[in-house]
Formats: sequence, structure tokens, C-alpha cells
Amino acid sequence: MQPGEIYLDYAATTPVDQRVIEAMTECLGLEGDSANPSSSHPPGQRARARVEKARAQIAQRVGASPETIRFTSGATESDNLALLGAMAANKHRGRHLITSRLEHKAVLDTAGALQSRGCTVSFVDHDDDGVISPDAVEACIRDDTVLVSIMHVNNETGVVQDIAAIGKRCHQRGVLFHADAAQSTGKVPLKLDDWPVDLASLTAHKTYGPMGIGAIYIRKGVNVQPLIHGGEQEGGLRPGTLATHQIVGFGEALELADPDQEGAQLAERRDRLWNGLSAIEGVRLNGHPTQRSPHVLNVTFPGVQAESLQLAVSEMAVSTGSACNSDIPEPSYVLSAMGLSDALAAATLRFSVGRFTTEAEIDHVAERMRAEVARLRALARGAPNWTAE
Amino acid sequence: MDYDSQVRQRFLSAHRAGPLNDGASGLVSGEAEDRTLNVWVRFQLRMLHGAIHTVRYNVYGCPHTVAAAEWTAERLEGRPAGALDELSMRKCLETLGIPVEKLGKLLLLEDALAACRRRLDEHKG
Repeated sequence: MQPGEIYLDYAATTPVDQRVIEAMTECLGLEGDSANPSSSHPPGQRARARVEKARAQIAQRVGASPETIRFTSGATESDNLALLGAMAANKHRGRHLITSRLEHKAVLDTAGALQSRGCTVSFVDHDDDGVISPDAVEACIRDDTVLVSIMHVNNETGVVQDIAAIGKRCHQRGVLFHADAAQSTGKVPLKLDDWPVDLASLTAHKTYGPMGIGAIYIRKGVNVQPLIHGGEQEGGLRPGTLATHQIVGFGEALELADPDQEGAQLAERRDRLWNGLSAIEGVRLNGHPTQRSPHVLNVTFPGVQAESLQLAVSEMAVSTGSACNSDIPEPSYVLSAMGLSDALAAATLRFSVGRFTTEAEIDHVAERMRAEVARLRALARGAPNWTAE
Repeated sequence: MDYDSQVRQRFLSAHRAGPLNDGASGLVSGEAEDRTLNVWVRFQLRMLHGAIHTVRYNVYGCPHTVAAAEWTAERLEGRPAGALDELSMRKCLETLGIPVEKLGKLLLLEDALAACRRRLDEHKG
């Protein structure tokens, strides 16, 4: 960030924590643990030890045993591996996938790819608050259903799905369950081994680790086919030279994460911001009011366009949609699926707080938003009320 | 989205935004809207001795649309009424560095100016 800028887009990515940078730096350069971790010589074995330590750190944080964690390039690759790999490895059981319209593009587009390969996909319904009930999931399950994929924390609204309850219904019907946990890792407690979750997607860069590294959790006994070939790394599931410095950064980031304590602090900041924004007439919070992650606030400002509001407060990094979609000036498909009109969806901003967000920043943002919403509403005085419900 | 400095400056200042006094004489207004484009715009002109003396506008739209409304108001003030027919949003697009994908929204501004022109002709008639 440059001086004067306020970062409130932690759901898109988080700055790398200085302690993570230091751990990563130890794995770079001739003096560092920079050898190939697959090499049998002592430098290679030292690098391997760093990788395995990181694997254990990550496993500990997500409530899993280390051997269930396989490194990938990030949650998008993990989602692809979970859906494509599990459907391919279990095609003898059927070719039916269940997911929701609220998922990240990494799941939706992969589901589309599966459809083009002859699989069928069902989209489970959600309520107006973006919550998916276990009953609704179970109602979609068929005899040929192989996999259900539901994200844990929605990247746009912050709504938390009860993945333990959903997974339980899947297991009762003999169906595999995948959870995209990219937004929840490090912010919401995870107990993957205890929960009925077979596959989970994890990433480092949304929890103060580096970009370009993630992992997939694969419960013991669950079959997944690799997407790429060329080596025995990660049990042959994800071949390629392991990126020691990134893996170490991922491990350190999750070692530092404290979902219980830090989650409570984030929730305080989020609620402080909402209190400041709720003074704006007509403002509405999208997503379930309590079943939500501590860091995301999705807010509609009727009577203004989010694109204009975003430019008006350009010293603040806030989002008009998920980062992956922000270059496209079209309404959020997640908000549309939740029943918001195009005009309301286009009047919506996502704020996401993080470890480095201060109370003073929150108060400044709320004040600036109140002033700019008032200015833009005055600019549009006389306009038809397209954002009325 | 990356905005040209000309767009940024006009959007943030919007000097000519706001209504003219409805009670004043020589006032004409015209508006246009397109819900699918999420744009509404209204121009108000004060005519004096057959020329456009003052222009004010209200607009609901994206930053490019707001900046284009401000640019339009700048261009019209002090010009004869015929300028209402001559102002080109393609010229605005080029001058302000607005992406061509936004032309549809900007053309609503031309529609609002055309509505002003019709009111002006009605007053003359």
C-alpha cells in the first residue's frame, strides 16, 4: 500500500506477513535451504525437512493429518483436482456432480468442463441469505451422484455453510464431499479429519502467505486421479518440483494464524464498519446476518452505482465483486443468484478486513462512504428508483 | 478499471452537476434513461438571447457517464442552440479516453440533448 491508502480487500488477497517473508527468505539463495527437496543429498534433505514441517503446520491448522495434505499452485488448481480428479477416479459409481450457483468460478467452470465431457451437474438451491441447507443437498442426491462440492465461506458475501452437516448427509448417501475452504482457512476453525469432508481446497495467499501455493486435503482412502503427469512428487498426484520457499511460507502463515482469537478481532472490525455504514439511509447487508465469516461485509448502497462509489473513494481498496471478476463491469452472479436485481447488484461493494486493519481506518472509511454516497445520490437526484425492491 | 485522468477529474469535480432554479425563465430540460444500461441523465439549459447560457445536469451512471455529462455541459455553455444537434459522443469518447464499450451509455446523453432541443422548438412554436 502507498501512504494514505487503506486496504479493505483481504478477501481478494492478503499482504504477506513479514514473519512469513523471513521464513521464505531462509529457503532462497546459496546459503538457504534452496536445494531440490526431492534430492537425496544433505541440502536436498534439509529442504525436504522444511517442506514436511510446513505440511505438518498446515495439517495442524486445518485439523488434518499431514499425509492428507498435497501441495498445489492454489485453490483453483485444488478445486480442479478435486472435481476432475474425483469424478474421473470414481466414474464406476456414476457421472453426477452436485454444486451450487454461489460457488467460485474455479468450481463452476470446472463443473462446466465436466458437463462438456458427458457428466451431469445439479445446482442445489439456497435461501435468500445465501445459505444452503443439508436437506436441499440431500434432495439433489441421485443413485449416480459421485461428488458434492460446496464452498465453506463465500468469497463475496462471507456466508458460512455448515459443511459438517452437509458432508454428513453426503456420507449417509455414500457420496463424496468437497469443500472449497480458500476463504475460511486461517480465519474460521477447520477440523477436516473430524468432519465428514473428503476433499478440501486450501490456499496461502488469503491468510498472509504467498500467492502461487495451495493445497488439497484428501481424506485417506479417497481416490483422485492426477491432472498432470511427470514425476512422483506428492505421491504422483501433483508432480513437479516442490516450491520450497512458497510451501514454507504457507506453513508459517498457517502457524501464525489463530482463527479463534484473530477471528474475534476481525469480527469486531467488521461490525464496527457495519455500524458506521448502517447510518446511510437504505443501506443493506447481503448474506446471512449471523452465519458469516468474521472478515467479509457485502453492502448494497441503493441509489448509487458501485463503480462510481469505488472511484470516488479510490484511496480505499474495496471490491465491486470478487477479484477474479472485477475487470468485467457486470453484476455479481452470486448476488444475482441470491435474488438481487441487476441494479442492486451494481450498487454493491465488498469490504473485507484483515490483520492490519485499524479502528482508525474503519472510522475513516465509514465517514468517507457516508459523504460520497450522499454526493452521488445528490448527483442522481430525480433519477428513477431502479434499486427499489 | 483504469480511468483516464480526464474522466477522473471531471467525475470527482462534477462542477456543473445539480439543478437550475426551476422558477427561472428561459429554462428547458430533457432527459433520457435506459434501465438495461443502468443510466439516467437529465440536462437543464438556461437560454439567453438564443444562446445556451448555463447548463446543469443530474446523472445516475458509471464514472464515464458522469464525466461525459460534465464534458457535455462544458462544451455547450456559451454556444448557440444549434450546438445541441452537433455535439458528438464519439468525440467525447475520444477526448476523454472512454472505452468504446461505454458508447451505448454515452448515447443516452445525446438523447437527453435531443429532448432539450425538442422542448426548445416547442417553446419557439
